[in-house]
Amino acid sequence: MSYADVPGVVETREALGEMTLVVDPARLLDACLTLRDEHGFNVLSDITPTDYLGWGGSGVAGYIGTAGGRDLNSPGSQGLARSPEPKPKRFSVSYHLLRVSDEPARVRVQVWLDDGEPIASVLPAWPAADWFEREAWDMMGIPFEGHPNLVRILMPEDWEGHPLRKDYPLGGEPVRFSDEE
Amino acid sequence: MAVVPTTRIYEGTRIPSPAPTILEVDPAKHNLEDILTINFGPNHPSTHGVLRLVVDLDGETIAGIRAVIGYLHTGIEKNMEAKTWWKSITYAPRIDYVSFQSNELVYVLAIEKLLGIEIPRRAVWARMALAELNRIHSHLIWLGTSALELGAISILWYTFDDRDEILDLSEMVGGVRMHTRYFQVGGLAEDVPTGFTDEARKFLPRMERSIDEYEAILDRNAIWLERTKGIGLLSAEDALALAQSGPMLRASGVNWDLRKIEPYLAYDEVDFDVPVYPNGDVYDRYKVHMDEMRQSVRIVRQCLDRIDETAGEPWVIDDRKVVLPPRHELHTSMESLIHHFKIVTEGYVVPEGEVYAVIESPRGENGCYLVSDGGPRPWRVKFRAPSFAALQATATTVQGCLIADLIAIAGSLDPVMGDADR
Amino acid sequence: MLWPDRGPGVFEEEIDNIEDALVLTTVEKAIAWAQSNSVWPDTFGLACCAMEMIAVVSSRYDISRFGMERFSSSPRQADLLIVSGRVTHKMAPPLRQVYDQMLEPKWVIAMGACASSGGMFNNYTILQGVDKIVPVDVHVPGCPPRPEALLEGVVRLHEKIRAGVPPAYEIRGVAE
Repeated sequence: MSYADVPGVVETREALGEMTLVVDPARLLDACLTLRDEHGFNVLSDITPTDYLGWGGSGVAGYIGTAGGRDLNSPGSQGLARSPEPKPKRFSVSYHLLRVSDEPARVRVQVWLDDGEPIASVLPAWPAADWFEREAWDMMGIPFEGHPNLVRILMPEDWEGHPLRKDYPLGGEPVRFSDEE
Repeated sequence: MAVVPTTRIYEGTRIPSPAPTILEVDPAKHNLEDILTINFGPNHPSTHGVLRLVVDLDGETIAGIRAVIGYLHTGIEKNMEAKTWWKSITYAPRIDYVSFQSNELVYVLAIEKLLGIEIPRRAVWARMALAELNRIHSHLIWLGTSALELGAISILWYTFDDRDEILDLSEMVGGVRMHTRYFQVGGLAEDVPTGFTDEARKFLPRMERSIDEYEAILDRNAIWLERTKGIGLLSAEDALALAQSGPMLRASGVNWDLRKIEPYLAYDEVDFDVPVYPNGDVYDRYKVHMDEMRQSVRIVRQCLDRIDETAGEPWVIDDRKVVLPPRHELHTSMESLIHHFKIVTEGYVVPEGEVYAVIESPRGENGCYLVSDGGPRPWRVKFRAPSFAALQATATTVQGCLIADLIAIAGSLDPVMGDADR
Repeated sequence: MLWPDRGPGVFEEEIDNIEDALVLTTVEKAIAWAQSNSVWPDTFGLACCAMEMIAVVSSRYDISRFGMERFSSSPRQADLLIVSGRVTHKMAPPLRQVYDQMLEPKWVIAMGACASSGGMFNNYTILQGVDKIVPVDVHVPGCPPRPEALLEGVVRLHEKIRAGVPPAYEIRGVAE
């Protein structure tokens, strides 16, 4: 399956049986419309934003945490034996497309964004993008241009901050122990 | 048969615009002064959990609707990023708490795909049997609660009786009725206990008789037909545009089941049929659910035979970097002790990469997008929730319906709010 | 009796002490007996625990033998609020609103680990225990608690009512 005619493709990766097309953010809508019309990907399965802040950050190899103990609220404090490759920008948004037809296929379209960099909404291509994009905005703060109703969907309307970002603390209450009064 | 049907349930598209999930009142059809906006608040008699629907009514007809979700957003994905791979599996079944094995299964399959390991055959058959029993469990709850809401109150007691028997089987393998956390990376947490297959085989004929009973009560019942036939129409094109999957899609005529198209576990080695109905209304969704229960019974029967055949075989892989070594080895082998220590303290590490694993859960396409950085904890976990996508179809399916039909349609979408909100 | 040689547990002793201390009149005892035998729960199922709460209605566990099968959707007609499931910060105001709509006397059972203390979800979005916003009479542990465990909680609530223990909002002195 050749995706050479999809506009804006910067890189093509194939791993674990999955094809990923990295697309230039400015041409995302063109690429998606081409994939829908020429290649027949009629279903948008999922839109997933990912935050790579702290990717490959420091940590003692093989041990979780720091000398002072484990701090679940600090970003990226993981112990890694080998640093992973650095990512081009902070956020990636992955669109999982599916072709429901007699020749089924799946493809992942990925764009890389900086903090606050807007991306075109793919609502003109698939109406299913509505709530997925709202969730991406709510959880990660990725602004979608052209979305008619970009308000919070999972958190309360007046919530501040984007919870799934790596610099947003996990929150919750510290567990009190009885001898600590 | 072709995947996408050629016959059309209705012409054109009924998806509202500009926002596909908000049905605005059309001033041409309704007098705006007659509109009454009511709130099906998060706490309401229907048993679908905390779903809020803001409905604009013109008399009894629905003129506008908007779904508000998020009342059960638990931050499961963020919690999973803070725990090791092993511990994070406990969060997964609480997402779709009605078909709890589905999320466990898809998460474990995603991790195993990243690790590149293949689990032993006995574990495959046990996982399939439990996943299909869970499908029956989920459909029974769906049937019981949907029928309850439409007035067939006694069906709730019948379906929950059968459901209790399935949970007995679940308790036999996992120790608890729900959220067993029985699937672990590499296979199963423990071997399938002796007597499980016998008990399950005793249960299956009872289940088949129960399905016959439910169909006898509902299939040609005049009230049921009045309340479900021709209600909540969704054409195949609209369903695909709205990313529907599972029974919603199959009731609209699309022959799409991931167990056949992209088989996982060993679904390509068992015989079963995929029910597809053409009319796209609530009645057809009900028929799809009933037929799926029958097919699941068929699959479970075949899996039980294979479980018996593989008796004595290992239920978990032998890779000590991922799975704990057997306890008796800790007394004699230094390497086993070190492996045990590393796995219990740090946890196993999963190679760097990203993967999207999908299964056919009772609600549709349940996917898990997993990003690993090579460390002992997940970097990003995203569950593609079928209920989230199903609720997007609310505005399209309720057009032209009365308020009583709203209950039938919301039930047929089969939303589980834990799944939609995560 | 399951364990004939086992004496009363801590709960039973405390209930006996309370009964001795409170000394109810016959009329009060009669009222308490009537109240405990007809506690109507409110349908407040939120998450996984709601599945086990519906199971307690089913014929195997049969909450009907306690006179409680009439789950009332309207909080105005309910006596007992069984908070079954995790409560998010978005859901907390509706929960308090439902509690406020109930008429006295009213009791609350926090069913499951999430309602009692936030459960395994110690994070930004889950209320760490509903007793932060409503006064709770009985906490039922479990994730989810078996239907029998919920029935144990219900039975203990009945014993508390019959012993004369006032509902939690009176004990804690919080506004109803």
